[in-house]
Amino acid sequence: MADAKRRKRQGPGITPWLFISPWIFGFLVFTVGPLLFSLYMSFFDWPIVGEREFIGIDNYTTMLTLDPQFWESLWITTKFALLFVPLNIVLAFLMALLLNMGLKGTGIFRTAFYLPSVISGVALVTIWSWIYSHRYGLLNYLLGLIGIDGPNWLGDAQWAVVAITIASLWGLGGTMLILLSGLQSIPKELYEAARISGVPLWAQTVWITLPMLGPMLLFSVITSIISAFQQLTIALLLTEGGPLGSTYFFAMYIYDNAFKYFDMGYAAAMSWIMFGIVLVLSLAVMKSSAAWVHYEGEVKGNGGADG
Amino acid sequence: MNLTRRIVLALATTALAPAAFAQDNVLRLATWDDEESLTIIESIASAFEAANPGVDIQVEAYGDGFDTKLAAAMGAGAAPDLMYMWNFPAYADALMPLNDFIARDGEAMNIADIPEGLINVSVIDGNVLGLPAGFTTHVIYYNKDLFAAAGVAEPQAGWTWADLRAAAAQLSDPATDTYGFAVDAKPDPYDFEQFYWSNGTSYIAPDGSAVDGFMNSAEGAEVLTMFADMIAGGEALALNIGDDTSGSSLFRGGKLAMFEGAMWNMSGIQESGVNFGTVVLPAFGDKPVVSTINSSAISISANTANPDLAWEFVKFYVSPEAIAMRVNDLPVRSSVAEASGQSNDPILAPFFTMLEASGAASPAFLKNPEWARIQENLAAAIEATMVDQGNAQAHLDEAVDRSARFLR
Repeated sequence: MADAKRRKRQGPGITPWLFISPWIFGFLVFTVGPLLFSLYMSFFDWPIVGEREFIGIDNYTTMLTLDPQFWESLWITTKFALLFVPLNIVLAFLMALLLNMGLKGTGIFRTAFYLPSVISGVALVTIWSWIYSHRYGLLNYLLGLIGIDGPNWLGDAQWAVVAITIASLWGLGGTMLILLSGLQSIPKELYEAARISGVPLWAQTVWITLPMLGPMLLFSVITSIISAFQQLTIALLLTEGGPLGSTYFFAMYIYDNAFKYFDMGYAAAMSWIMFGIVLVLSLAVMKSSAAWVHYEGEVKGNGGADG
Repeated sequence: MNLTRRIVLALATTALAPAAFAQDNVLRLATWDDEESLTIIESIASAFEAANPGVDIQVEAYGDGFDTKLAAAMGAGAAPDLMYMWNFPAYADALMPLNDFIARDGEAMNIADIPEGLINVSVIDGNVLGLPAGFTTHVIYYNKDLFAAAGVAEPQAGWTWADLRAAAAQLSDPATDTYGFAVDAKPDPYDFEQFYWSNGTSYIAPDGSAVDGFMNSAEGAEVLTMFADMIAGGEALALNIGDDTSGSSLFRGGKLAMFEGAMWNMSGIQESGVNFGTVVLPAFGDKPVVSTINSSAISISANTANPDLAWEFVKFYVSPEAIAMRVNDLPVRSSVAEASGQSNDPILAPFFTMLEASGAASPAFLKNPEWARIQENLAAAIEATMVDQGNAQAHLDEAVDRSARFLR
């Protein structure tokens, strides 16, 4: 008792900090440091080779007023996010519901649904480039069997974004897993009570499952938005931004500015714009979440708090 | 800032520079070569080591990631002493001008033996920033068997695009998926400028100040329109529209009668067993034909600790002895080309003819430091024209508009 009191008076001291110091060190050196450094870079004309020159907010004004590609890439990414985020959540939710029904073979399907998420991005792109191939692709072959003359998926400016969205959805296993764990933590009594009162299945889903899953959905929406805006690998490898620049994503334009044109300052400035957009969107989702996310029951809401 | 820089440096050093703590007689040489070319450069390095006991040349093969790795190494202050180089404007500040060395040793090394057109591509503001060792120009490869089967006369030097189109129309046969020619919707803009030159124009003003009236000139639009018409008329197959089948692979498979290519296509085509010939590029009417010159040059880092030894290596690298060891591109020294009989070989002679015709051409990227970005707009215009099968002028005008901010 006396010991505890003394400890309380003196405070925890340095010991806890030492325990988490590896993380603190990594966070400062590998996250906060580079973050602030890139903000600093964004005010410079910063080539890799040659003189660096302070140019104030020129990078930002050029981007907003003189660079049509900036707006085009932003629009492409937005379009992708509008397709990807809802589809990702809805499909992951439906798959999670299926797996949660306790049907035969659930274990196998759970593995099968998650398996694509394990494949590395490059392998995934290789697979999809064969699926999408205009003349030799699996997809158009299957469409041909039912009499549809499939489009040139990766060669048609209208279809390429759709093709990339579908390929990106391949990795929805992660979201599905989060939602599934959410579903499994919903108390069974709620459904029992509903069933006894004669509430139909669809109403149970709308009034019990969705509200109880709120924090998980919130977390998934925010991480989906972030990953949509960061989309790079698939576009870079599958279409290289084409055809006709129709899949020239914002993240890819940043990458090219940094590593193709060696314009580090401009790329850093663009990254901060992206950071700002993602931040605003995440805050908006968080803000609105008060209306649709409830931290109740046995769900502790850890998922939502992280977002 | 310091901390971050030091970390970047540490990472880059670990990843790229096994010999960051260079001793006096160690030179690091960065190359994009792989496979056969890499073996050749390694044997050249060994020959230099044998002739200079105690010297160690460390060949670092960056492969496809050459520019990224080189930029990272330079940014971290750990640039290799010697490096392959093509993009001189982007790296100009990091390269050592060789003018003084050349003034001192040029006569002894018989530098006049190297055609001026090959050295011109490495000169920025009067500074010679690298010396070439191998080169290629562009020619038309043609499949002799397909010509014979269709009863079409084989192309001859002095031919025109009208001749090529007439032949291509006869050689194309949709029933067997055979095509007379192939048009790449996504050509490397650096290579594509040869068609602008051959039609009497260029991408950019000679002083690099404007693209309006050059990139979108009537002659430029004519070039793009011609290729688009060839696609529309079924004379040529369009490549790289949502499909990455290459012209060279179609040619190797006997499905393509004519194909615009360079030395880098040669060994694959020889291995394929196709009965082929080469001929100079066709002309636009009676205008002189010009080819792009792609050369592999070697440069010295501005920060090397050992410039004299590095220069010794460069001298050896462009010596007749080392150049004769390069069997997979063409020798930059006229004397080597003659001694080996390459300049009279019927398959190789068109490459040398194109080199002679192209000495005066000066590629756009040498004229404006922002060219890498301007050419993205041009590439988009070319692709859009090939997809639309027309509208060249409108697409080129748009490319010019979009490039305006890089020319202010």
